[in-house]
Amino acid sequence: MTIDHDTIRHMSEASVSVELETADMTLNIGPQHPSTHGVLRLVARVDGERVHDVKPVIGYMHRGYEKLSEVRTYPQITALINRIDWVSGYANEIPFMVAAEKLMEIEVPERAQYIRLILTEMARISSHLVFMGSYPLELGAATPLFFALRERELLLDLLESVTGGRFHPNFNRIGGVKPIAGSGPTQKKTPQDLPAGFFAETAAAMDRISHAVDQLEDLVAGNEIILARTKGVGILPPEVAAAFGVSGPNIRGSGVGFDLRKVENYLPYDRFDFAIPTGANGDSWDRWWVRLAEIRESVGIIRQAIQGIPSGPLQSKVPKVIKVPAGETYVRAENPKGEMGYYLVSDGGQGPYRLKIRSASFSNISILPWILEGVLVPDIIAIMGSLDFVLGDVDR
Amino acid sequence: MTLSPSESDTTETVPGPHPLQDFADAVAGAVGGTAEILFDTVKVSVGLEKWTGAHLIARDDLDLVFFSFLSAIHWATDVAVGDPLNVEVEERIELISTVGDLTEGHRVTFSTSLPVENPSAPTLVEVYAGANWHEREAAEMFGISFEGHPDPGALYLPDAFEGHPLLKSFPLLSREVKPWPGKVDVEPMPDNGAGDKPSTENPGV
Repeated sequence: MTIDHDTIRHMSEASVSVELETADMTLNIGPQHPSTHGVLRLVARVDGERVHDVKPVIGYMHRGYEKLSEVRTYPQITALINRIDWVSGYANEIPFMVAAEKLMEIEVPERAQYIRLILTEMARISSHLVFMGSYPLELGAATPLFFALRERELLLDLLESVTGGRFHPNFNRIGGVKPIAGSGPTQKKTPQDLPAGFFAETAAAMDRISHAVDQLEDLVAGNEIILARTKGVGILPPEVAAAFGVSGPNIRGSGVGFDLRKVENYLPYDRFDFAIPTGANGDSWDRWWVRLAEIRESVGIIRQAIQGIPSGPLQSKVPKVIKVPAGETYVRAENPKGEMGYYLVSDGGQGPYRLKIRSASFSNISILPWILEGVLVPDIIAIMGSLDFVLGDVDR
Repeated sequence: MTLSPSESDTTETVPGPHPLQDFADAVAGAVGGTAEILFDTVKVSVGLEKWTGAHLIARDDLDLVFFSFLSAIHWATDVAVGDPLNVEVEERIELISTVGDLTEGHRVTFSTSLPVENPSAPTLVEVYAGANWHEREAAEMFGISFEGHPDPGALYLPDAFEGHPLLKSFPLLSREVKPWPGKVDVEPMPDNGAGDKPSTENPGV
């Protein structure tokens, strides 16, 4: 059975005398609230159960990375940008590296590109699994969280085995991936490729994840309460989404089959066979479903990549002190949350002259005042959660 | 070793026409600006009076319906943070915005110049609703006022905050208030006379 909002509204109106003028109430949600994925504050003006308007208050996580980047060198910035969207830290590094490499006209060895691609897709699955767990939790279903986080652990272990970091890998270098472990005169320098057994463990992990995705689908798609709370709730028309800059799974949920992996050449995705899942109605349910389907596609990409990874060097020749020639470019990538890009302006020095960070979640939640206007109070959480944002990615 | 597509793209930027040249010319012709291709990024510069019109044409005629971002670059020779520019530039604020399509993957970065004193530009909120927050961010970070913005006001900074942090004249305050913590452990080098001064002039480096 689906809940008919109009029916509820009529019922609530019937029990209240028409002459009784109810004053609008201000409902403050956050900044500390389990469903805000960090510190986001919503100031909602509500009339009974109906939301008049919502004003998001952001900036609690603002760390000033754009300013900080102007006083850091290119290799140092990798450590900063890991922390933008910390749920998929690895994926944040890629567009920045590609932007710097474009200006330096460096060719990245194929093996390094494949390693980047495999780890990026792992970051995507891991980010989507967090969503798969946290979204039902916000709607009151606790079980999927355990299923999702158990499998995410496999990916974090694999990421850690390659990069040494679970959330902030800091693994990419301009011209490739981290080629050598140990530095300085006292430590022994050892060439560092993928750890032994990585492909076998990855293949096993992919099998488990595709099984877990089936389980999650059973668990959530068969749950009548979740269906009732998400189907037809928070409908986002594609043209509105585009005008607000909503990207990634959120706009694909509205039926737009657009994926930057297919049109931008930042990693060799053109050699892989994968589909772009899209939703039909643009509601919260479709956004959930698109992410579920994207996990399956990413599993497929990783399986193809570990079959076809070429051998070769991990790092192309770069000078010891990285200086990026003067120039500017914008490089964007399909991150788990949507379009992540860097507008890099270099003046030929060791650090950027200006680095504009275009993060996906910032534009994705700028839709909140539009999409929450007129909804019911409990739907705030259902809609907000379906947009899958991280406050570090909003505030930067 | 064979070249991957992305690699061959960057090598083609110098000789021969760029694959994006036709698209860049088409956009520049439609909006009345000048196009350049910067490492696979099409940048079209327009006069400030054409700023809103260019975006309208991009959205309605060129099918660039997706609003990616809006921001600014402060070009200045005198800087309070970071390295100064190697070349003399006329001090100005460059307003940039990027819009794209949702089919071919085409995108354009529009650019226009604003004076440093009281920079002001018409708002794009009517054209792209997503410009709302981006313009609020650019307003507080660069001091640009967007005429006709429906909801001006600070996005990140507290209301009483003074200054515009992303201007090159704005120092990194945290290093002025508290010196680099590692510095206390370091004994001054013998030939570094006073010993108090950090090795570089600019705080935060």
